[in-house]
Amino acid sequence: MTPREVVERANGAGPLPPSLLVRGLSKSFGPTRALADVDLRVDAGTVHALLGENGSGKSTLIKTLSGYHHPDPGGSVEVGGQPLQVGVASSAYNLGCRFVHQDLGLVDTCSVADNVALTAGFPTRCGAVHRKTLRRRTDEALQRLGLALDPDALVGGLAAAERTGVAVARALADADVTGVRLLVLDEPTATLPDTEVKQLLAVVRAVAASGVGVLYVTHHLDEVFEVAEDVSVLRDGRKVVTTKAGALTRRELVEHLVGGELQEVSAASDSLSAVHGAPVLHVQGLSAGPLVTANFTVRPGEVVGVAGLTGSGRETLLPAIFGAVPRSSGRVQVGDESLAPGRPDRAIAAGLTLLPADRVRLGGVMSMSARENLTLPALRALWRAPRLRRRLEVAQTRTWFERLDVRPPGAVDAPLGSFSGGNQQKVLFGKWLRCAPRVLLLDEPTQGVDIGAKAEIHRQILSAVEAGAAAVVSSSDYDELVALCHRVLVLRDGRLVAELSNGALTVAEVAREALGSEDRAA
Amino acid sequence: MSTSPTARPRPSLGFDRFSGLYLWALIVIVFGIWVPDLFLTTGTLHSVAAQQAIAAIVALAVLVPLATGAYDLSVGATVNLAAIIVTVLQSDKGWSMWPAIAVTVATCFVIGAVNGFVVVVLRVNSFIATLGAASIITALQSIVSGQTQPLPPTSRAWSDLTQREVFGFQIVVLYMLVVAVLLWWVLSQTPVGRYIYAVGGNAEAARLAGVRTGTWTWISLTTSAMLCGVAGVLYASLSGPSLTFGGALLLPAFAAVFLGSTQLHPGRFNVWGTLIALYVLATGIKGLQLVTGVQWLADLFNGVAVITAVAFAVWRQRKARPRRDAAASQRSKGTGSAEMDVGGVTPASGQQPAAVR
Repeated sequence: MTPREVVERANGAGPLPPSLLVRGLSKSFGPTRALADVDLRVDAGTVHALLGENGSGKSTLIKTLSGYHHPDPGGSVEVGGQPLQVGVASSAYNLGCRFVHQDLGLVDTCSVADNVALTAGFPTRCGAVHRKTLRRRTDEALQRLGLALDPDALVGGLAAAERTGVAVARALADADVTGVRLLVLDEPTATLPDTEVKQLLAVVRAVAASGVGVLYVTHHLDEVFEVAEDVSVLRDGRKVVTTKAGALTRRELVEHLVGGELQEVSAASDSLSAVHGAPVLHVQGLSAGPLVTANFTVRPGEVVGVAGLTGSGRETLLPAIFGAVPRSSGRVQVGDESLAPGRPDRAIAAGLTLLPADRVRLGGVMSMSARENLTLPALRALWRAPRLRRRLEVAQTRTWFERLDVRPPGAVDAPLGSFSGGNQQKVLFGKWLRCAPRVLLLDEPTQGVDIGAKAEIHRQILSAVEAGAAAVVSSSDYDELVALCHRVLVLRDGRLVAELSNGALTVAEVAREALGSEDRAA
Repeated sequence: MSTSPTARPRPSLGFDRFSGLYLWALIVIVFGIWVPDLFLTTGTLHSVAAQQAIAAIVALAVLVPLATGAYDLSVGATVNLAAIIVTVLQSDKGWSMWPAIAVTVATCFVIGAVNGFVVVVLRVNSFIATLGAASIITALQSIVSGQTQPLPPTSRAWSDLTQREVFGFQIVVLYMLVVAVLLWWVLSQTPVGRYIYAVGGNAEAARLAGVRTGTWTWISLTTSAMLCGVAGVLYASLSGPSLTFGGALLLPAFAAVFLGSTQLHPGRFNVWGTLIALYVLATGIKGLQLVTGVQWLADLFNGVAVITAVAFAVWRQRKARPRRDAAASQRSKGTGSAEMDVGGVTPASGQQPAAVR
């Protein structure tokens, strides 16, 4: 008996209306269509997996459902048979939609019970929190999900999967369960270790078994086959397929995901000049966080890409090489010089630079001016005792502004935080180019920047490389990697699993390797 | 994230950056009309300048670590200890002046180095670390003084150190200006200043740009303690030893620094802004005291000033960078232990040096 039948039987009144019914939903940002005519149906008591590469429109779909985006006119959304007022945040909530995002939004320093009660409300007696009732309610909420957790345990001390479980319990706890129609889980396993994924999937099944429809967004194909009844794939804002999960092989699913780009060979990497000379960057047995013994070298004049899903170790690789995060073992060498771990200043002195992925938090000092940010790593060139040559500094900054086409052009003394994302990134990129580095480590160099800035940054990477630097580009945008790189290293589960170059370097192949498209015997 | 170019060069409204100077002029005019024979005298000018010179040095001692994002709450206690040590060494031990001063400042150097160790190596939030240090230093002061106020040294050189007159001002004013010029030079004209402000602005980003965040925090706390040593010595010479004087300096110093961060270079703790703020407050207090004759005005003024200054800085920050910043701080949660963000002007004492996470 499937869960759906259980629910139907329990209600005794024929089939329930679907938890979610989307018809003809579109969303445009200016001239670009992020979602085009999407239909989607999630039945009550089932898990419906939603797959799609980065930029396929998944996030836009979820944000539209939650009322964050106003969709284009014409489409309709029903939740449990009731029409949703699209674009109104409270409407989704009132109809029983609950969202659990990747960033769970839990308070680490509070107990499980307190976290659950933060949205559900605290049971009180004479104004004071009634701990016994709180414990009992939390216990029930956890039990329903099959979670054996102490309500008094601190959330910060839980395993990652347990934390996700608490977030799910919280999402469901604020109404009695029959009120919740739809639970949207946005990449809940992205940062979970393999061992904990099973535990979370059990929670997801328990939610579905209670009659709630689950829209399960993921990158991991294994989970689709393990937990989902139905699966839909988005590509370029369109839904390309909806089918029973059992009706597809893994390979077919990957083909749906990456589309008909099978024979596409990158154009840009052909135009790159041939690479020669001794390697300038050696990475030997590097382990850090999820990353396990990475080995590779990069030669001058070469652009090497790094691909991998969230949690594959891709986010850790470049910071670990640079010394931004500690490494647990391994060696990093620039030329003949071995780098001390955790010392960005030494790495910079050796000719290594890192453009971090998180621009605001790690990239620049937003309260300082663009000029001060641009010159920060190499101030010595401006120092003529007894002071920094302000005029020379302004002139240099202006030159970089022109070279990188930073807008607005004259605003060298405006705080970095006042620039748009793309222009911030250009300034930070210029800050490293100005150091004349031997190796550029670029972590998501074009994330969140507009198309014009993206092209400019690409151009600058290539010209720096032409001038004899080496570049390592880590990106979740496979198109970018294929267009830009000589070869692409693919990480999966913390290991380097493939190196793609020449004819093998296509978006589809990178995606296949990152996802792990061979049917695993498990 | 928005992609439209939103950077606008700041319109150069003198009123924004120089409001303190306008306020100063206003205060002088008002009291000049109200009580001209009491207020508009060179005596008032000289006494305000000299009385506030030591407070100004302490304010600069607060400013340096604050620029790196570290609070130094032990300045008051350090000033007291320095004043007692330099007096005891001369009066009770019979040392001559210069060795006594050297040992006093060296002691303060050690205090600063220990503060730096606790903050940088042990990673204790600077607010807590220096609050604890203040209590320990107060205990040391009791041990050194035996809890009785030592007699002031009688040598001529000792009183001449601060009380000699230059252009009618006591020479302590000149010392203060020398300290201010030195700090202004370091903070605004040298790479060191850039590093210090970068650490205060975003310690982790500064570290990734190759700035030795721990080292600069350490140096700034040590500099702060040594400036307190100088302030303590000068105070003992100017007004005689006191067991409690330093404690009363803490809040005015912070008030001046925060108020100063709204002047000249808004959003940045800066030397001349701090001095302007300090003297504007002092002039206002002096005038009101001359008119009313009450003593509690200073406390009231300084309390109001520190809160107003920080509230203003927060408001200005929010106006300057509305949504994007909110999103950014959303994302960056989890970086901070107890983070005391004073309106983005800096203090992120939780995210001190080299936070390898």
